[in-house]
Amino acid sequence: MAGRITNRLFLPAAMVAAIIAIALAAPLLPLPDPVKMEVSARLAPPSLTHVLGQDEYGRDVLSRIIWGARASLAVAFLSAVFAGVIGTALGLLGGYARGVVEILTVRSAETIVCFPPILLALLVVTLVGPGVATLVIALTILYAPGYARVAFAATLATRGLDYVTAQEALGARPARIIARTILPNVASPLLVQFSLTVAAAMVLESGLSFLGLGVVPPAPSWGLMIRGARSTMEQAPWLLLWPCLALTGTILALNFLCDSLRDVLDPRAGVPQARWLKRAAAHVLPTDNPVLALSSLLSVEALTIEIDTPAGPVRPVRDLSLSLAPGETLALVGESGSGKTLSGLALLGLLPASMRMVEGRVMFADRTGRLRDLARLSESEMRRLRGNEIAMVFQDPSSSLNPVHRIGDQVSEAIRAHHQASRSETTASAVRLLTEVGLPDPRQRARAYPHELSGGQRQRAMIATAVANAPRLLVADEPTTALDVTIQAQILDLLAALKARGDMGLILISHNLAVVSEIADRVCVMYAGEIVEEGPVTEVFAHPRHPYTAALIASAPEGTNAQLSAIPGTVPLPHALPAGCTFAPRCGSAVEDCHTVKPAFVEVGPGRASRCLRWREVA
Amino acid sequence: MLGYALTRVAVALGLIWAVVTLVFLFIHLVPGDPAELLLAQGGVAPDPAAVAELRDKLGLDQPILAQYLSHVGGLLKGDLGSSLLDDHPIAEEIALRLPRTLELIFAAGLIATLFGVPLGTLAGLRAGGVVDRILAAATGLGLSIPVFVVGTIAILIFAQKLRLVPAGGYVPFSRDPAQHLLLLLMPATTIAVGLGAVMLRVTRSSVLEVLERDYVRAAHAKGLTPRRIVLHHVVRNALIPVVTVLALHMGSLLGGTVLVEFVFNWPGLSGELVRAVEQRDYPEVIGIVLVISVALVITNLVVDLLYAVIDPRVRHG
Repeated sequence: MAGRITNRLFLPAAMVAAIIAIALAAPLLPLPDPVKMEVSARLAPPSLTHVLGQDEYGRDVLSRIIWGARASLAVAFLSAVFAGVIGTALGLLGGYARGVVEILTVRSAETIVCFPPILLALLVVTLVGPGVATLVIALTILYAPGYARVAFAATLATRGLDYVTAQEALGARPARIIARTILPNVASPLLVQFSLTVAAAMVLESGLSFLGLGVVPPAPSWGLMIRGARSTMEQAPWLLLWPCLALTGTILALNFLCDSLRDVLDPRAGVPQARWLKRAAAHVLPTDNPVLALSSLLSVEALTIEIDTPAGPVRPVRDLSLSLAPGETLALVGESGSGKTLSGLALLGLLPASMRMVEGRVMFADRTGRLRDLARLSESEMRRLRGNEIAMVFQDPSSSLNPVHRIGDQVSEAIRAHHQASRSETTASAVRLLTEVGLPDPRQRARAYPHELSGGQRQRAMIATAVANAPRLLVADEPTTALDVTIQAQILDLLAALKARGDMGLILISHNLAVVSEIADRVCVMYAGEIVEEGPVTEVFAHPRHPYTAALIASAPEGTNAQLSAIPGTVPLPHALPAGCTFAPRCGSAVEDCHTVKPAFVEVGPGRASRCLRWREVA
Repeated sequence: MLGYALTRVAVALGLIWAVVTLVFLFIHLVPGDPAELLLAQGGVAPDPAAVAELRDKLGLDQPILAQYLSHVGGLLKGDLGSSLLDDHPIAEEIALRLPRTLELIFAAGLIATLFGVPLGTLAGLRAGGVVDRILAAATGLGLSIPVFVVGTIAILIFAQKLRLVPAGGYVPFSRDPAQHLLLLLMPATTIAVGLGAVMLRVTRSSVLEVLERDYVRAAHAKGLTPRRIVLHHVVRNALIPVVTVLALHMGSLLGGTVLVEFVFNWPGLSGELVRAVEQRDYPEVIGIVLVISVALVITNLVVDLLYAVIDPRVRHG
């Protein structure tokens, strides 16, 4: 980690250090006098004695560039330091004392930010007259509020910490607390602010000098040199090039340093990825021998999902097999992290970009009766099924509805994605669907935005979207978890009613056993990426054949949300799975074999299966 | 919506009052006699008679409250005072030049948006790819080159060497529309370089953030094409912070025009400001700073109202 940080900072820091070193060494270098004129050598091109040529007064350009760096850097650093000291002091005071002091320091400093920076600098120049001292004063006034703000925010954050409170309780003096405890903690945001300020001050200094309102001639400054070279642009364009390059290069190096500093000091660094758009076709499994007959709607066989992590690939879902008949409701039950949501997303081909199906088959019978392996469909084939034959209802309707579009448009969009229809037809269909899902006043609600609906109404709208094309299979991922208890029952009734109308298969993903027992026909209990028990709901809940199922039922208070925390220990992470049974470390009935032998998923009765070595004993 | 709009207008009026007061107080916050400061040339003490005359002209001898009231009273009547040099009314000068500066800023904002938003969206969608890296390098450069360097180099290349466009100047639209727009092109594009880079960066990170949202996943679950998802669900939501950033940068944009108008000889407000600063024409400087700052507040107000149109949630907040 430390090595990576030094690597990232090395190049920009070295560049900035080199520029500063050259500027500092100017008096020691064998350079001609930067202000000595030689009118006969006016605009002379580069030569051996004057490597970069001579300017409109015959002065040596290289010497002026290097001496000009001193002026620019001096102004930038001096004002950044002064602004830093004043601003940080104001911010620390305001943040530590709050109240009136806060208003006098931080808030009053912030009003300066209302003005465009260069205008404020020009106001100062008007009153005081141009010159290096004026520049430093103006830039200090300009940049102090930035520091005040950063120091203030950081002080507030640090003040609340326990060790600061503890020192106050021990009677340490405020000045001592600020200097010894708070200041070191606000140092890194201030460091970033400092490098930002130096770069900004440099831009402003050169701009003002360019206008003739900054550094006073004949002293060398990059802004002044560009100003001078402009008038002789026609005869000597190279004179324009050198100061422009020096200025841009220096600012580029400073900005580069800023960015690297921020990356290193900000723990959230890393390249974000466009997750949902990047389901590359390459992730699809190679073609396999087709299954010719399927009595059910969906048959998942030995599905395994893999995710790439910095530590190598891990498998959050392993050997998942399940089947679903038309009109049937199957519940996937388990704690968070059991892989149930990933399994549901895999059915729609919506796994995040870093994940893929690596083994197994997902056979689905479409409307024409054709069998499709969802693990091997291309993205465009999958897209024609998605929202059409296979639909999904997500957990949180508030975040799953697009806040800037009207409800009706979001429903009709699903229809138009799969059918050629006019806008008025689909709008009518959307209103009809909203009526079917029991939204009050559907015509008006169709024109509403998501934030104008209640949570239950939003979930009804999401369900209307999902069933818009009368899907053969509906995957509902915790459809009631984000809702109030009274609304939960209504949504479950709605799902049951929609299912009763046709032969739509429903996969209900839930951690809530009460919900499951209410509407599911069969249940698959998942634990740490595997199905550990499967069977008809009533039988499984009455006579569990796996210790985990038994523990789940025991820990769920009747009639309310399941409290799963009553099982000792936590779900193992997919990269640190136990050698034997995944539940063995938390299992009360585990014997020695459980820790070494991986149990198989065996039939334990008609339509029932369990992944437990001791299923006969635990029941 | 109406309540929201009224609140924003009230806040804007309060800010304008604060700006007016601060600018008024500025001259009094400087240590020493402002009249002496204004007349000082290279450390030489000015002629006392001249100082007395200037104090009288600026009204510095009256009590501060009386000065403030007459200042604000003048502003309410649209009177910004007159120039120290030739006594011309400052308000007239500003009324003539302000539209030219606003035109420049508007054109620059348009160009920056036309390039920044689509390219930023592209970079966000291709995050980590070759296109993204090339655009990242380009924005890094665009953010680092000072605006007057861009302008000067642009003149060197496009006016001096290639002779594609005139090096600068101004022709009223009514006299020659084509020439007017041609002269507008280079200064506006120069400002747009830095602004476009900012917008590209903001759009990119905004797009990346929106792509992670649940509603984008829900849009995929509907079976929408990637094209529709990007245009209909991602871009519109991603634009919300971009609008804010554009507003936040209006300040530096207005600052940028000072240099650009100077480089291209664009006879806007900022060129007049530089002249007034050079000649220490304090009332004129104050007048221009006031007008630009108030313009900034009004721009922010417009952006706030625009924001409510893009994001329906804001109207109720």
